[in-house]
Amino acid sequence: MGVFDILKGKFVDPTYAGVHAGGDVITTTVDAVVKWGRKSSIWPMPFGTACCAIEFMALTGSHYDLARFGAEVLRFSPRQADLMFVAGTIPDKLGPVLKTIYDQMPEPKWVISMGVCASSGGFYRSYHVMQGIDELIPVDVYVPGCPPSPEGLVAAVMKIQEKIQTSKQAREPQGAHRVGANGEGMYDRRTRRAAWAADDAERRAAGQQPRGVLTDLKPEPEIDHGAHHG
Amino acid sequence: MASATLPAALSPALLEQPAVRVLSEALGENLLAATDFRGEIAITVERKAWYKAVSLLRDHPELEFKLFLDLCGVDFFDREDQPERFAVVLHLYSVSKKRHVRLRTPVPESDPKVQTIIPLFKGANWFEREAWDMYGIVFDGHPNLIRLLTHDAFVGHPLRKDYPQGQRHVLKEPRKWLLQVPPESEHMIVNLGPSHPAMHGCFRVQTLLDGEIVRDAEAEIGYMHRNFEKMAEARTYWQVIPYTDRLNYCSSFMNGHGWALAVEKLLGVQAPARAEAVRVILSEFSRIMDHFVCISTNVVDLGAITPFFVVFRGREKIYELLESCCGARLTVSYVRIGGLAQDVPDDFVPRCRETLEFVMDAFKQMDELLTRNIIFNNRFRDIGVLSKEDALSYGWAGPCLRGSGVETDVRRDAPYSGYDQYDFDVPVGTTGDCYDRYLVRIEEIRQSARIIRQALDKLPAGPVIVDDRKVALPPKSEVYGNIESLMNHFKLVYDGILPPAGEVYGATEGANGELGYYIVSDGGKHPYRLKVRPPCYNNYQAYPEMLKGGQIADAIAIIGGLNVIAGELDR
Repeated sequence: MGVFDILKGKFVDPTYAGVHAGGDVITTTVDAVVKWGRKSSIWPMPFGTACCAIEFMALTGSHYDLARFGAEVLRFSPRQADLMFVAGTIPDKLGPVLKTIYDQMPEPKWVISMGVCASSGGFYRSYHVMQGIDELIPVDVYVPGCPPSPEGLVAAVMKIQEKIQTSKQAREPQGAHRVGANGEGMYDRRTRRAAWAADDAERRAAGQQPRGVLTDLKPEPEIDHGAHHG
Repeated sequence: MASATLPAALSPALLEQPAVRVLSEALGENLLAATDFRGEIAITVERKAWYKAVSLLRDHPELEFKLFLDLCGVDFFDREDQPERFAVVLHLYSVSKKRHVRLRTPVPESDPKVQTIIPLFKGANWFEREAWDMYGIVFDGHPNLIRLLTHDAFVGHPLRKDYPQGQRHVLKEPRKWLLQVPPESEHMIVNLGPSHPAMHGCFRVQTLLDGEIVRDAEAEIGYMHRNFEKMAEARTYWQVIPYTDRLNYCSSFMNGHGWALAVEKLLGVQAPARAEAVRVILSEFSRIMDHFVCISTNVVDLGAITPFFVVFRGREKIYELLESCCGARLTVSYVRIGGLAQDVPDDFVPRCRETLEFVMDAFKQMDELLTRNIIFNNRFRDIGVLSKEDALSYGWAGPCLRGSGVETDVRRDAPYSGYDQYDFDVPVGTTGDCYDRYLVRIEEIRQSARIIRQALDKLPAGPVIVDDRKVALPPKSEVYGNIESLMNHFKLVYDGILPPAGEVYGATEGANGELGYYIVSDGGKHPYRLKVRPPCYNNYQAYPEMLKGGQIADAIAIIGGLNVIAGELDR
């Protein structure tokens, strides 16, 4: 290892033995330190809806112990989290909720789609089930299984760490590199994604936040109960 | 139906049934038909006599069908033998007489209206809303007939036979207000859920607060509605098994057990003794597991995380046991119609004993941490009280119903799978508060362990699936060995199981209470209609009512104790 390697940021892990110069001084890049910090202290937000949430509980429980990966601080508030586990089927009724919560998470943020229901609708191909959450939000890691085993989830968390480590997220705004997930397959995914993108753009043009994000806490002007009936 | 009879020709055997006799005397020609299929009494009445018939069933001293079970619609779209397109079907249970009854009424498509029975059973509220949502059957006098399971942007009624299975609608904004608040009100609205740490899945409750006191509350469900019933109509009886695993996913095995029993009842077959014993053992392990999740996550919400870590170690052990039997941890799909998928491993009995010992050790630690804990007691006692009458009227089930002082247990009152061979007690609460529900669960874990020990002591040898080529696949050695078995195999895979036409309601005691499968069969390979009677649907329906007058913090303590499981609630 030469000194130029360090300056180039080649050795991005500051705990790497060669990076230390005498024990008191670390020569590295800000980018590397930020990434190292991020990947070692992920704060996940479990968006658990169904069976997968039970296996997620097993992951955080004593046997599989997610704390080994520095990701045990579960935050149920999206504003304090940077990794969202979407664990379970997302029906259409839950779609806006999922979108709101994703939008409320601060950047940088990552999403794990846990299980086949969240990834593709699974074996619920029917009138009320979203055929994969990437209809609405971008996904970083898909975990197969119904439900995935906790080992699979550990692998997914390690993938996220790898992604944090090798990405340019410390320097670039997140989301620019992702336009949705790979793969097709579901009959109307593209249409829906386009519809939501158009909706967001429309609101942005009108100077509004994405749908569901609270901007001010003014009292509601008028409650129209009639509109909710069937 | 196959064995339908006209009232004029009601057979004497049927008239001996008190429900048929009372209704035929009171309703006269408004009683259209009565059938007895697989030991189940089904009575069809004219629509105008619906309310009267239900009130008779509930109040007549000879009948006392006071426990509301289920109400659903059925669409007989292409069935020539039915008088009208729709039907409304009600299931009731009499705790004192230990008897089920089914009441049906035909509803024409041109005027799909039935009188509401909410004044008789509080629990009918959501069921009627669901029937409207799914079938468009209007219930006259219903106070709030709006979408329940599907969302507000939904168009059409999805369980109608002419609704395409994959037709979706985009919802952009969830329903904002569940409560009606006068504009000058100074009360505050607090919304819990659908994504809330204490909601154990996706439920939503809106509360109207006066300081810390809840003045009004309203719940919204359907956030986990994944169309099990519609999917099942396009699946064979086998293919439904994996879907049942995902109903109450804390105790997957028991759902499959209940489904297999319901189909076996429809077919008239009996699983071998060994299969039944293994089913009982694994069901009781699942019950323990379910109660562990319920209690430990309940107290996590109140701030005590240690019991969670303690019992989840025990749960992992049970997972390992299930994994050794069928290869899956959570969603097991281990039962088959007529038995089990394959035999248990050779070391099943010692493995079960070892697991049970470990689990009961974890249980003991949890018991010591909680039962006499003063903080826990203060948070749980006299909170969320529901009276016996209300529990019956809402159609509560299982530990919650028993916590309110109603002594009923399907395992004891209508034994299935050989539960009559085992000794066990049915714990019953006295006040119906959260603490009683907790104690009932604690005692049920002990009783489950007792049942498992007895079953292990006399686990019979023999086959684990029936030797009936119309129900179960022949063994692989025979399939490869002779042409007849090969053809049996082919026919069964290709045609599926073909049950007789008829209707059954198969009930088992799930971890949350009476889990019922109402199957309408037209003799084809798919269920014509499948309705799940989900126990926590009824339990959760009473939740907003229980909150009123209490503190907002108690809302969290109450919901955990109801053990509402989204997959089962919304199906």
